Amino acid sequence: MKIAVCIKQVPSTNEVHMDPVTNTIIRDGKQSVTNPFDTYALEQAVQIKDHLGGEVIALSMGIPATERLLRDATSRGADRSLLLSDRSFAGADTLATSYTLSLGIRELGGVDLILCGKMAVDGDTAQIGPELAEQLGLPHVTDVLAIDAIDEQTVLCRKATDNGYQRLKVTLPALLTVVKDLNMPRMSSLPGILYSLDSPFESKTAADLSADPARIGLNGSPTQVVRTYVPQRIREAIVLEGDESQLAEDLLNIYSEVI
Amino acid sequence: MDLNLIKPMHDDYADYLRDESRAIGQADSISFPKNEYEVASLLKTLYAQGTPITVQGARTGLAAGAVPRGGHILNLSKMDHIKGIRQSADGHFHITVEAGTILSQLRKRIEQKKFDTADWTNESQQAFEAFKDEPALFFSPDPTESSATIGGMVACNASGARSYLYGPTRDHISGLRVVLHDGQIAALKRGDYTASGRTLSFPTLQGNQITVDLPTYIMPKTKNASGYYIEDHMDAVDLFIGSDGTLGIVTEVELRLQPLPQTVWGITCFFSEEAAALDFVISARDTMNQLASMEYFDGHALDILRYQKQHNPGFSKLPILPDHVNTAIYVELHCQEETDAVEGLKTIGQLLEKAGANPNDTWVARNESDRDRLLFFRHAVPESVNMVIDQRKKTNPMITKLGTDMSVPDQHLKQIMAMYHRMLAERNLESAIWGHVGNNHLHVNILPRDDEDYKKGKALYDEWAAEVTRLGGAVSAEHGVGKLKAKYLEVMYGQEAIEEMARLKQYFDPKGLLGVGNMFEPVKGEVSQ
Amino acid sequence: MTGLKIHQDKCVGCGLCVKTCAADALAIQNKKAVVNEACILCGMCLDSCPFKAISIEKQAAPKEDLSAYHGIWIYAEQQQGKILQVAYELLGKGQELAKQKGCKLTALLFGNDVANEAQSLIVYGADEVLLCEHPLLDTQIDENYIDLFDQLIQERKPEILLFGATGFGRSIAPRIAARRQTGLTADCTILDIDSENGLLNQTRPAFGGNLMATIICPNHRPQMATVRPGIMQVQPCDEAHTGEIIRVDYADPDASKTASVELLEQVIAAHVNTIADADIIISAGKGIGSQKNMELVKRLAELMGGVVGVSRPLVDIGWSEYQNQVGQTGSTVSPKLLITFGISGAIQHLAGISGAKTIIAVNTDPEAPIFSVAHYKVVADCVEILKHMIANLEARPENGLLIEESKDKLS
Repeated sequence: MKIAVCIKQVPSTNEVHMDPVTNTIIRDGKQSVTNPFDTYALEQAVQIKDHLGGEVIALSMGIPATERLLRDATSRGADRSLLLSDRSFAGADTLATSYTLSLGIRELGGVDLILCGKMAVDGDTAQIGPELAEQLGLPHVTDVLAIDAIDEQTVLCRKATDNGYQRLKVTLPALLTVVKDLNMPRMSSLPGILYSLDSPFESKTAADLSADPARIGLNGSPTQVVRTYVPQRIREAIVLEGDESQLAEDLLNIYSEVI
Repeated sequence: MDLNLIKPMHDDYADYLRDESRAIGQADSISFPKNEYEVASLLKTLYAQGTPITVQGARTGLAAGAVPRGGHILNLSKMDHIKGIRQSADGHFHITVEAGTILSQLRKRIEQKKFDTADWTNESQQAFEAFKDEPALFFSPDPTESSATIGGMVACNASGARSYLYGPTRDHISGLRVVLHDGQIAALKRGDYTASGRTLSFPTLQGNQITVDLPTYIMPKTKNASGYYIEDHMDAVDLFIGSDGTLGIVTEVELRLQPLPQTVWGITCFFSEEAAALDFVISARDTMNQLASMEYFDGHALDILRYQKQHNPGFSKLPILPDHVNTAIYVELHCQEETDAVEGLKTIGQLLEKAGANPNDTWVARNESDRDRLLFFRHAVPESVNMVIDQRKKTNPMITKLGTDMSVPDQHLKQIMAMYHRMLAERNLESAIWGHVGNNHLHVNILPRDDEDYKKGKALYDEWAAEVTRLGGAVSAEHGVGKLKAKYLEVMYGQEAIEEMARLKQYFDPKGLLGVGNMFEPVKGEVSQ
Repeated sequence: MTGLKIHQDKCVGCGLCVKTCAADALAIQNKKAVVNEACILCGMCLDSCPFKAISIEKQAAPKEDLSAYHGIWIYAEQQQGKILQVAYELLGKGQELAKQKGCKLTALLFGNDVANEAQSLIVYGADEVLLCEHPLLDTQIDENYIDLFDQLIQERKPEILLFGATGFGRSIAPRIAARRQTGLTADCTILDIDSENGLLNQTRPAFGGNLMATIICPNHRPQMATVRPGIMQVQPCDEAHTGEIIRVDYADPDASKTASVELLEQVIAAHVNTIADADIIISAGKGIGSQKNMELVKRLAELMGGVVGVSRPLVDIGWSEYQNQVGQTGSTVSPKLLITFGISGAIQHLAGISGAKTIIAVNTDPEAPIFSVAHYKVVADCVEILKHMIANLEARPENGLLIEESKDKLS
């Protein structure tokens, strides 16, 4: 079975705040990491491969430095990786990104199953999975919390709903997005890391993929951000005073306000 | 002095009667001084009244050093300002903090290079500018509980996993300020006041000269946190480090930072035979010089983790342990270049194979989130043991933690491990062993099931203390003596040395009020007049 | 030319943009900002420039005549034949937007036997309901819905289309957006019509809620957005409001194609709550004085519909169980309301409550560390406050039943 796992590089922390002196947005500047949800997708793909045989390919659209994360995926069971990297991919919203990723999947050819993390912790739109499936014309299921059985033609899975779950039978090829905790992502092993240093890796440009320039990057993005701002957040405890009976009432008023 | 500083004890302060050792004390009053002036006034006043004083930081200690035995609790948690940065002639950066500063918060500030510099002197501000341009620095001591205060770390000369490479807290202190029993203050910088032979002299800010004859004993050569640090020509700063709050109150500490290695990789290696694990440790210790720590976990510890993972939602995030393994060794590579770390990894792989272990049974952490997972795993061991003890304590209040903190010289590692296992099995006691195997410093924890187990455990402890001393080791390698190990100090040093320590203490604490019960039982603290 | 543009006439080389850039793509050279290849066009620097010297130039023109698109559509999601609350919230906001645009508000109602629900959508603001009934719309299988949406959008050209960000909404909305090759903004907390250009301003939290971002979809239609349940307000019902119910046909799928996704079972599960799920937590520390007083804490929690939490000392001494323990070694909680009684606020405890939305701390010590994280500070005797709050709640008529029940317990 040929399984593709979509991986996104995200900042390691969401600590973004305003510098009070310069009034600018400052990030913590730590190293980028693999989107945590994608690590569950990767683990699931590797478990399926271990069970059925085949190969797992890690795929990402990103900057050249993303190669590090793709190689890291091969230290945890992926066989090889493919990076889609080009200046013209920059500024992409979910539509342009899903289009670009679809080119990568087509480039791989013969993919039976695509696994994605439910959402990225920086954008957290959870849109890529369904949009990518649409770009490829494949069925999709979001919020998969368990895969009960899989063979070359079908997968039996459970999908989380707002108030329970559905048990579904999906015909392959298909795309699934997975939630956290459907498995325990493995750590890299020592031999895994040594393998990853030289594992097969390719980087492809827009031209390599014959990408339509009107559908990639900024030009291919129907949405754009017009403003970013910090929501006001100052915390200084409000002191409540009075006799005990008054205080009790004040507290109950707060209760009815916040609930 | 503002008399409102001294608050009578109240149920709201009940937390302050205990620390991580789970011993519970009692006290009549408590204070939270905000600065050194208040500390000095409090100390002077209380001392004159004859009130025993126990100093506290964050109460994370394991030897009951912060647990009060009556009298007054002087809690330094409000003194948590970072006061300045200095660059010494050799290029090192030093950071001055109040004793109540919490380690994890200090680490964050150093990492983010963000400080509240509003009150800093011009020199500090300038040094800070230079500091910002430096490649990443860090303060290396890493006790497991990072919510500890710096003052607490100084009191017990704290060590952590990385002390294997970087040394204990002592090695990273370049100065401190201490308030003495009469309210006088000594501001000591390393290098300024050293003993001639065994006579130490230093001035106080009030203009008096303190001169004291130091004990004559020789300290053990292993990792050690027991007893006063005493050496020929020793530095005055070192006298107070590891003194468990018995000689004075340290209010401010100057810490020396060092460059953070750019590449830090953690590797947990699993073994299906303990013998293979010890062989691996010994060969890694001999051949590798980029290892910052070497930690050990025995089969019982792993079984407790397996159990917790299944039954306790708080531990569901623990990575899944391979079934067939019964020992784990964690090592950490600290290198500048990633290529060096790769070489280190290859060497580890080879050493594992040589020891008869499978390199596939390894977890390697190269990024922060993976390092956190391995850290969680390592911390889960003592946490789980605590939870078992707490559970058993409910039906049997006499049961408390029984953990050792003993270290031996390198050549005795296998011998001491064999002894621990053999004697635990002989006495039919439940146990879990983990620790800093790189320094031959294991925490053997006995999990008593009933009063009898508890008594047997304490008896074993005494036997081990004697054997460890005989082998040239230390009874308290890192936790400090506190109250729980006071009796072992005599086992280690002998009665004469204890009397010398008592005399030293009496010089700084004539009425025997500071840290009552720490290091000495009160009775032993009184030396013949 | 597509990309980041530094306006040389406005840039003074202050360097604020350099500090904001997470990709290290900006630097100051010869007193002007310059951008290099690392730029990922995230747009963060635009807002950091006090001189508005940075812009992102985009080469784009609408592919079709956008003026043909009119109207605001909301998807009235239903489950088991019942319309979800979020649909009414969308109607509430939709009414406002429709008024601003001077256009119609349409609700989409799809299901198997749901026609009787259409009227409720009208009295809550819909000017028009597009109703489609078919057995395949009985359950929530994505692929049975997409073609229907696609067809209706192409035929009727809505300008704006809103979905509730339910599990189902978050699965079909992106698929529909990709089908129509248009833009979608998820989890909007603020929606309004721009007074200058008439576009829908779609604002949502970004970076884990530390920043807000406002997004627009200028050249593609429909402008699509999802909104989480509980964010928008339902407007009062207007029985006099009239609207048109239009039946639309469901195009039967190609019989030769087998369904790719088959629903084997739909399970609606009873949710087991732990303290980590609780919305309201009443927590106690050693300051409540005695084990007896825990009964007061439990009673208050019961009256307020909350759960009891404790700090570690209470578990250590056996006044409560570990599963109620809040703090670093217990549970990390993020309730809407946390009231602490007699907790001083050890660091390990504070670490477990930092996610609480509103914290009221009650403690006799004004210097207790808990007050550094509390929203409200009450320096008072916790037992007295507990007693007064309980008395206050018990006196309320709606709690009469609870009083009867508790009397039974006491007797």
